[in-house]
Amino acid sequence: MLRLLLTRLLRLLPVTWGIVSVFFLLSRALPDDQLLARAIESQLDTGSRAITAPQRQALELQLRRRLGLDKPVFYFSIQRSATGGQSHWRWHGLRNQYHLWWLDVVRGELGRSYRDNKPVASLLIETLRFTLPFTAAAAFLAIGAALWLSLWMTRHSRWRSYLLTILYSLDALPLFVVALVLLYLLANPDMLALFPVYGFDNPEPTDTWLANVGSYLHHLALPVFSLVLITLPGLVTQLDASLQHELQTAYAVTARAKGLAFRQVVRHHTLRNALLPVVALVTDLLPAMVAGAVVVEVIFALPGMGRLLADAAAARDYPVLQGSVLLIASVRLLSHIVADGLYWQLDPRLRSQL
Amino acid sequence: MLRIAKFIFILFIITECIACSGPKKHSGTIRIRWAQDPETLDPLAMANIYADEGLNLLHTSLLAFDNPKGQLIPWLASKTPVVRYKDSLTLITYTLRDGATWDNGQPVQAHDVAFTLKAMNCPGLPNEGIKVRLDFIRDIQFDPHDSRRFTLVCKGKSPDYIRESGNFFILPEYALDKVGTLRPISLTYLQHSDTVTLARNPVLSAFVSRYQAADLAHHPDRLPGCGPYQLEQWQSGQFLRFRRKSNWWATQLRPFPIQLAAHPKAIEYRIIPNPGTSLLALREGTLDVYPLIPAKDFNSLRASASARQKLNFYTHPSYEIVTLGFNTKQPLLEDRLTRQALSHLLNIPGLIQATEYGLAERTVGLISKRSRPYYNDSLPLLSYDPAQTVVLLQKAGWLRQADGNWFRRTVNGAAQKLAFTINYRANDPLFEQIGLQFQNAAKAIGIAINLKPTESSLLSARLREGSYDVYIRTIAGNPFIFNFAPILHTASIGVLNYTRFGTANSDKLIEAISAEADQKRKVLLLRKFQLLLQQESPLVPLFFLPYRLVASNQIANLQPSGIKPGYEVKAIITQPAHNSQ
Amino acid sequence: MSFSSYFSNRRKLVALGWLAFLLLVAALADWLPLPYAPGDSDLTHLSEPPFTALAASRHWLGTDPLGRDLLAGLVFGARTTLIISIPAALLAVGVGILLGSAAGFWGNTSLRVSLGHCFGVGGLLLTGFLSIFRLWPAPELAWPLTATSFALVSLLATRHVELLQRVTLTFPVDQLVMSAIALLESIPRLILVLVIASVQESSVFTLLLVLSLTYWTGPARLIRAEVMRIRALPYIEAVRATGLTNMSILIYHVLPNASRSVRTAFPLSIAALIGLETTLSFLGIGLPTEIASWGRLMATARLDSAAWWLIVEPGLLLLGTMLALRQLARPDEHTGK
Repeated sequence: MLRLLLTRLLRLLPVTWGIVSVFFLLSRALPDDQLLARAIESQLDTGSRAITAPQRQALELQLRRRLGLDKPVFYFSIQRSATGGQSHWRWHGLRNQYHLWWLDVVRGELGRSYRDNKPVASLLIETLRFTLPFTAAAAFLAIGAALWLSLWMTRHSRWRSYLLTILYSLDALPLFVVALVLLYLLANPDMLALFPVYGFDNPEPTDTWLANVGSYLHHLALPVFSLVLITLPGLVTQLDASLQHELQTAYAVTARAKGLAFRQVVRHHTLRNALLPVVALVTDLLPAMVAGAVVVEVIFALPGMGRLLADAAAARDYPVLQGSVLLIASVRLLSHIVADGLYWQLDPRLRSQL
Repeated sequence: MLRIAKFIFILFIITECIACSGPKKHSGTIRIRWAQDPETLDPLAMANIYADEGLNLLHTSLLAFDNPKGQLIPWLASKTPVVRYKDSLTLITYTLRDGATWDNGQPVQAHDVAFTLKAMNCPGLPNEGIKVRLDFIRDIQFDPHDSRRFTLVCKGKSPDYIRESGNFFILPEYALDKVGTLRPISLTYLQHSDTVTLARNPVLSAFVSRYQAADLAHHPDRLPGCGPYQLEQWQSGQFLRFRRKSNWWATQLRPFPIQLAAHPKAIEYRIIPNPGTSLLALREGTLDVYPLIPAKDFNSLRASASARQKLNFYTHPSYEIVTLGFNTKQPLLEDRLTRQALSHLLNIPGLIQATEYGLAERTVGLISKRSRPYYNDSLPLLSYDPAQTVVLLQKAGWLRQADGNWFRRTVNGAAQKLAFTINYRANDPLFEQIGLQFQNAAKAIGIAINLKPTESSLLSARLREGSYDVYIRTIAGNPFIFNFAPILHTASIGVLNYTRFGTANSDKLIEAISAEADQKRKVLLLRKFQLLLQQESPLVPLFFLPYRLVASNQIANLQPSGIKPGYEVKAIITQPAHNSQ
Repeated sequence: MSFSSYFSNRRKLVALGWLAFLLLVAALADWLPLPYAPGDSDLTHLSEPPFTALAASRHWLGTDPLGRDLLAGLVFGARTTLIISIPAALLAVGVGILLGSAAGFWGNTSLRVSLGHCFGVGGLLLTGFLSIFRLWPAPELAWPLTATSFALVSLLATRHVELLQRVTLTFPVDQLVMSAIALLESIPRLILVLVIASVQESSVFTLLLVLSLTYWTGPARLIRAEVMRIRALPYIEAVRATGLTNMSILIYHVLPNASRSVRTAFPLSIAALIGLETTLSFLGIGLPTEIASWGRLMATARLDSAAWWLIVEPGLLLLGTMLALRQLARPDEHTGK
């Protein structure tokens, strides 16, 4: 078991490397004008000073040199001439952005953000500190609620189709609608002002420890709730479908026939098997915890990973993007291992294959 | 799993009861909504308007703008500078305000200005933008008798030099260059040597590494300015809190210059990206000022009686103008008749009514009516008149075919079909509304227009390269200078002249305007320019956007203005709640 | 016929009826007597609530914040749903089933491929890539090179080179598919979409491609898990003993039992894909703005949070479609008894 785990973990390394490399090359293929415009053109508009195209190029070169973007992207490049199908292959050697970035990564350096000059590693850690509590709470609550709801539905089959329809309608709504409805209903001075509108309040020094935690959770309640609502339909429908299926299998029928209570049959016999297809969905929540949820973060003004990624992608903040893709890709690959481990736990027959 | 979930759920319920406390009272801290993090408070970088606003609390420049009055006023300079001309040079002499000191008690001196200019020109620092903005300053001369007097030597002549030369933050030399290692290095040397030579200079590289080690982006306190505030706390993506210095030098000045007033004890900028959330926070009372509020939210808020009791509403016409621009190098749009014809398809009054609730200022050119003598009031406003479009199109050689489309033959015999794409920044409802209206009007007379919202990096690349047909965007202007070279001069093609417009004639006119100091002649030139713009119509000015501002009625004296951020934060005073509406 | 199966069939009929209605509306959209076209912006009636229309304005179901008629939007949005969202969902599920089942069935060790085939397929992919993007070092060599490599590839892949046939490699299908999934799911969507858009001009085909390319990973993971489970069941061992090829075991014996989770997820994926399509359209990569879609109608609610009708009306249609698809996709659990 341990050896298996170790080999699986070792196998992660080349895959992570591959994913980040593909991402690196893809992201560098996009125009990065916004990056330059922020530094140069934000100061130049009507009424200001005019610069000529060569002047701008010189500035652009200077900026690229400062950011390390003046070097070639990869070991070689292919330039296609505009006129014909002629392409020109060129070798650039080791002094290229890709090589240098990996050298830094191996040394444990992820670079600094182009936008705010913070070291990427500490930026990611700081952001995760805000993201993980609410995404993790949402994930646990969603799984718990999904289990409870689907077990409840096995006993109240009359309500089942109504509940499923409700879940379907929940799923038909875009996430921003769910979040906004919660916000406008539960944090509105005109409706119910049960929750604070945004963000965590600045912790005030006089507050006690308990009140701090209280205010923290109080602020997180709505974002967590909207994430739970958005995750539920997928989980419950899937769990319900497999529970319904398992309850009709021969072993469940036998178990009932030998006089076990329905509840017992469900909890001890069918649930374990029914969980198997859901594992893929549940383990998918793990990388989602790290990646955050941009819509919820924007609406509830949380400084999370989703917002960080979206802003970095829009501004072409390459160091931050590469760092977070590295992080998310590794967590995602880990989640695959976790999923396989869970399959192993739930269905011993699978052990021969993994 | 069920148990963990239950535990978390119960935890939420319990804390709910603990945390339920009433709304807090106004503490004298002004809380302002920002849509986005300022990202860096490095005084050389200035990444976005929020950073600019924050830096204005920390640092001071020689001159400042009195936004409501639209005037230039002395700030760190004791009075407006003395300007002399010598050969091809402009010499601008400033005297720093007596009594201005840094946080360590040392006076602000001419050497600090010299240090700032050198830092701006030192390669390897995040100064690309500011460097190009101030590259006309070639040297600084000190007054041997007065350490507060200095003269900026500027290349060439321009009436804008006064404003520009006073518009940068003065940085303290002692914080990063205690022993004055940069003093022997001249500004000319920095501006005229190539980067390789500069990179080899040990003094400069030591300075660059000191600068970088200070990590000023997030630690502005390591280069403290002589402004009234200091940064107290900054949670990225959440809030920034500035606090007034307890012993700020200007408070000792007698008589006290009004423009230096800094009323709020503390200013807190709350970063709330979503407009709806900001609106709720404003109503809840956890926010005092919501600047640049969308028109729809502004009006729905004003319609609510309960909101009116707690809030004050302000509007002010701005200098930000919405334009629709043509790529004048596109074969379809290269003749002015076609461009003129198409501009009559814009229903500008209808758009103003729909998007700004009727509150926007129309214009004939890029100059606002508020810049009275310069505005060419003899020109007619653009009319919404599809019939006129048809007439003009026919004049331009277009013929409507039986299938409803417009065709014409070019000089070399190729057939052209009148159909094109409009690019605008993605996710902007204003631009989308304008595009839709234009598309609808064009469709009615047989012109097929494709709307293409474009991601901003992609858009600015396409605009710069000229690979587009028509754009919609806003151009930020200001009431002080009329230099249209950046957006309409041929030398700016490939930079900011997105329309690629320019003739020898227009270039000459634009140059003459920016060089003209005499007001009467300037009026004539600018009127001529507006006429030219309307005739050539490389871009169609639609309207000046109004800036809207909503603030709690517990604060007053916001001095709303038409220049971003749209209010004067240092002037805000708290007052007992009353309803001014 | 038992009562329950009759009931289930009647539900299916209703579901079919709903989809047929949508299809009819979508097909006849151009000829329906609608007062407005979907792209028409009525500047004088922005955000008008439904059923308040005076005879003069005739926006029976209201308008969105940009003044577009909601009725027209819903009718033409049905067309978009039928042309884009449902096919994209089917395509994504198809690709997901293909790759996911291959990954689950062969795992990392079971598929052995001869060296010849490896070279063959690898060479083909490389030549294909270079030819499609016209990246050959010299254009005049492109055709001769393509032809030679094609000949070489066919030679390698056939049984002519004995050695290459005898040496076999295990082909880690599972590893590859899971890596591809991780790749697609880890890259920020904005970057991925912009890259595709910069290679391909935006069109219905590109949109289908982008949608299914980003969405197949979910169904693939679901089906992989199911196939892995079923493969370990005793009856597959029994089938194996009959000497059937792997392919036919997978298709005839594994997949029919493994599709339940995907079928359950399918109706929900429509909503997700409509959301995705909306995001793309806002970036100018999806459909042209004058083509209406339910997702975009709902998204305009961002501009006017009081306009409940922007959510409710398209939301109900979407819900109806999802429920109909659920009825059609759901395994007939009742008929077996």
